[in-house]
Amino acid sequence: MKKIYIIAIVMIAAAIVLLTTAAEDMSTYANFKDATKSGDRVKIAGQLSKDKEMYYNPQEDPNYFSFYIRDTKGEERKVVLLSEKPQDFELSEQIVLTGQMKGDEFVATDMLMKCPSKYKDEEVYIKEEGE
Amino acid sequence: MQEIQYIGEHLMPGRIGHLAIVLGFVASLLASLAYFFATQRRGQAEATQWTLIGRGAFLTHGVAVFTVIGAIFFAMANRYFEYQYVQAHVSDELPLKYIFSAFWEGQEGSFLLWMFWHVILGLVILFSGKRWEAPTLSVLSLIQVCIGSMILGIYVGFGDDPVRIGSNPLMLLRDMMDAPIFASADYASQIKGNGLNPLLQNYWMTIHPPTLFLGFASTSIPFCYAIAGLWIKEHKDWLKPALRWALFSGGILGTGILMGGAWAYEALSFGGYWAWDPVENMSLVPWLILIAGIHANLIARNTGHSVRSTYIYYILTFVFIAYSTFLTRSGVLGDTSVHAFTEMGLEWQLVGFIAVFLLLSAILLGIRYKGIPSPPKEEAAGSKEFWMFIGTLVLLFSAVIITASTSLPVYNKIVQYFDPVFEGRVITDPIPHYNRYQIWIAVFIGLLSGISQYLRYKEFNFRKYASRFGLHAGIALAVSGLFTYLTTLWIDVVAWQYLVLLFFGWFTIITNIDHLITFIRGNLKQSGSSFAHIGFGLMIIGILASGLNQRVISNNQFVMDGLIEGASNEQMRRNILLFKDSPLIMEDYEVTYTKDTIDTFTRTFTVHYKRRNKQGEVVEAFDLHPNILYDKSFTKVAASNPSTKRYWDRDIFTHIASLPQVEIDMEYRRQREDSLNYRLHQGAIGETVTFLDTVPLTDMDTFVVKSYRAMVSGIDRHPTHPDYHPEEGDIAIGASVQIKRSDDDSVFTVHPVLVLRGQLLYSYPAQINELSTRVRLNEGVFDAVFTPETELNYQQFSFQQGSKINLNGYQITFEGFNRKPKHPNYQPEEEDIAVSGMMSVQAPDGKVYAAQPVYLIRGNRPFNLKDEIPELGLHFRFTGIDPATETIEMMIAQADPKPMVIPFEVATNSLRSDYIVLEAIEFPGINLFWIGASLMMIGLLVSMFFRIGQVSVRRSVGL
Repeated sequence: MKKIYIIAIVMIAAAIVLLTTAAEDMSTYANFKDATKSGDRVKIAGQLSKDKEMYYNPQEDPNYFSFYIRDTKGEERKVVLLSEKPQDFELSEQIVLTGQMKGDEFVATDMLMKCPSKYKDEEVYIKEEGE
Repeated sequence: MQEIQYIGEHLMPGRIGHLAIVLGFVASLLASLAYFFATQRRGQAEATQWTLIGRGAFLTHGVAVFTVIGAIFFAMANRYFEYQYVQAHVSDELPLKYIFSAFWEGQEGSFLLWMFWHVILGLVILFSGKRWEAPTLSVLSLIQVCIGSMILGIYVGFGDDPVRIGSNPLMLLRDMMDAPIFASADYASQIKGNGLNPLLQNYWMTIHPPTLFLGFASTSIPFCYAIAGLWIKEHKDWLKPALRWALFSGGILGTGILMGGAWAYEALSFGGYWAWDPVENMSLVPWLILIAGIHANLIARNTGHSVRSTYIYYILTFVFIAYSTFLTRSGVLGDTSVHAFTEMGLEWQLVGFIAVFLLLSAILLGIRYKGIPSPPKEEAAGSKEFWMFIGTLVLLFSAVIITASTSLPVYNKIVQYFDPVFEGRVITDPIPHYNRYQIWIAVFIGLLSGISQYLRYKEFNFRKYASRFGLHAGIALAVSGLFTYLTTLWIDVVAWQYLVLLFFGWFTIITNIDHLITFIRGNLKQSGSSFAHIGFGLMIIGILASGLNQRVISNNQFVMDGLIEGASNEQMRRNILLFKDSPLIMEDYEVTYTKDTIDTFTRTFTVHYKRRNKQGEVVEAFDLHPNILYDKSFTKVAASNPSTKRYWDRDIFTHIASLPQVEIDMEYRRQREDSLNYRLHQGAIGETVTFLDTVPLTDMDTFVVKSYRAMVSGIDRHPTHPDYHPEEGDIAIGASVQIKRSDDDSVFTVHPVLVLRGQLLYSYPAQINELSTRVRLNEGVFDAVFTPETELNYQQFSFQQGSKINLNGYQITFEGFNRKPKHPNYQPEEEDIAVSGMMSVQAPDGKVYAAQPVYLIRGNRPFNLKDEIPELGLHFRFTGIDPATETIEMMIAQADPKPMVIPFEVATNSLRSDYIVLEAIEFPGINLFWIGASLMMIGLLVSMFFRIGQVSVRRSVGL
């Protein structure tokens, strides 16, 4: 057997081992219930509760932004993001957070927002008076 | 329904564009077929004719592609918003220099950019490809057919649900959607464009996409050569031109990827140059395979081994480009990437694109595989080709595991198709995940690219050579060890894995420098590979330094500790609050936010950094200028651009993370102003007013009562205010108001302004941030300062120059005429005849005052502009001149003296608005990353030029 083949087989074996260990890095999107139960660092996807308070007062703490989201099971919880309030936050439809539960709050260190394609409404592109 | 005759539409570019899209599609199909037959019948007479047809068709295709692009540009430059693509990407305000960026912002535009480069590259082959022209261009034209289909925008099929093929960039808005506005015939004049996303309005968006797409397009060429080689069974000859193109492609695609990183680092506030985002990954993967292909190609050219691998690598490179296109453009990445395109309904077409070329290549390779020559004898373990080949496998391996992780959303989709309740899997923390595996890839690449430089091709007698090899390798190992040690004095290497990587980073640098000096003796022509590998090593060290030792310096422990319940150090606290003119210590620096200036929509902040030595002397001072870009309505911040101080060994990166809400949103600012609890006070000038107010304490639901002292110290009839821009006819009053709060020693003086413009009052309040207090003038100030004309009792007097009268004890003298009068309410016009009378008044106490009322004839009508001496209550109107007697008529009135009581309003619940939320990060050694990565690309391009040069030398010898 050629040496190259041996090396290739070793590599394929390594790849399989790596990819199985990589399963540890993966998780399903959790909901608040799972996150509370496990206490692990998880990703949660949810909808922003637009009627609930969003709190960011940089004078108090520039790294504290809190809001409420509703997870895929419909449970609503307070989320604390340890960062500034991002631009266009109010517009976001779907939010993916990375973090873990601390008490009743979900403390997130990373957030990804999905904004709707902004310009669906007709009024957005009609010229305003006097323009 | 009645047909509407629309007016004001420009249908011509659309018609031309539609025609060109269809023509381009058909022509590429024809070119592909003609070149196919030219290849199949090669050697026969008709092949020449087929080639000619192919050329004609390809050139037609090229002209058609240029025409489509031209039509879209024309519509964009003229702002024909009736076109959906124009409306979506351009606006009236968008500067023309961003028109290119706007063009390739959308999916259709970027497809066209890709096709454009294919045409250009195809033309190069058409003129220089010789016998490779027909087979390669047949494949390239087929690629163009596939990409061209993405912008066709035609419906195929019958019934209610026809299948749409492609998305046409020249569709009219009214054909794309239903809206009441399209009921009016002149709708075209009523719509406006969305414009380009402000985040993309910078030069990176102008240079990054064309470079990246040239990179993408150029990977097609080695692929075309590979298919051509298999097709016409010339398994050796294709290797030479393919190598040149692959080197070109490697250099350009790499540069394109790198530009993306530079953009993210320099202009966007991502705080880094690489984040293992799926879109970034999927541009890196084809590049890795391409680099593997280049190495296999080199082996094949030098030894005859690895021809099959070269085929496979170049084919895979292109297939992964297609796969990358699918991932980034189908919307499948949705939740996992920050910069994937949104879906366009072309998923199946994109899958088809991959399938066509994957199947075509696989079948062809399967048929030809046995016939591909391969030396019977296996590579020797001491030969260069053996270790280089292992290197290519490592690169492929890296590409495979990156792809596997990045494709998780695709895997989810497939499983969910069969099992709808399957919950998708996701990588919790992508960056550590990818780093953990790629670090070992980099270690192996470092080792192999070092070792194999000392080895020789076709080495079957390694033993004889072993001592020289051992000497060089041994010295390189020792020197690398030393340098690794020295590096650890500079950067903190936190784990043994990183130490290993650092060592092999140095190893590849040392061995390649050695190779450059002792083996090829500085021969520039062969130096490309050494440059590229040295670059790789430097890049690794740069990544380690800037990644491991990147420090967020904007976290001030003194401020944070204990303030927030449950806050701990492990949490990332990247932002710091910086009040204007209040310095804050951040690590080695004393940082002060000193000023901000606004220019149309860009607000630039000046942040002053000072570094002191142990004695407290300032050793270094510099300003950084991060800025933010407001959207058109000033209701939000559209982009925040960082500013970076560059040292040779590190960068200080600074960006504005947030601003006070009142500074971001003008609407909120108005609401906030309305909600302020202003209280009215009044006092004569110089009189102190004392009042009490309750001040809420943050976070405690309690209030304290504080006492304030306020005093109006003066009135200004020509006031200035940062937000006030005077206009003709304005009546403006400003006051100097001094405020002191009982618990604060400082006295603050502010200058609120009130302006009467026509019938409207404009108030310009003044803010004392330190006291969270806002002061404005009450409209009663006009009554207090000005006496209404109706209350004045004018008397008429006649003056000659020098004559004097007495009014209530005041000596009033007419001193003479001023033929160039100045008056706050007078703007000279060309035909005006205007003079002012210079009046001087001596008060009973001996003080002298002056007034200059103006007499003006404009358009045969006389006007007069009054002047007054407020201190004396004297009002003057210059009402007539008798030129014959040089006598003037002057109306003079004296108002009853009254104490001037100035009403003003104070709100003590105004929030501070003089701060910024700043993020500052130090990146040590980041220049090594840029230099190293650039050197890699330069190395690739140097090799390419060397190989092109080689051809011409041989040609001239041949003559």
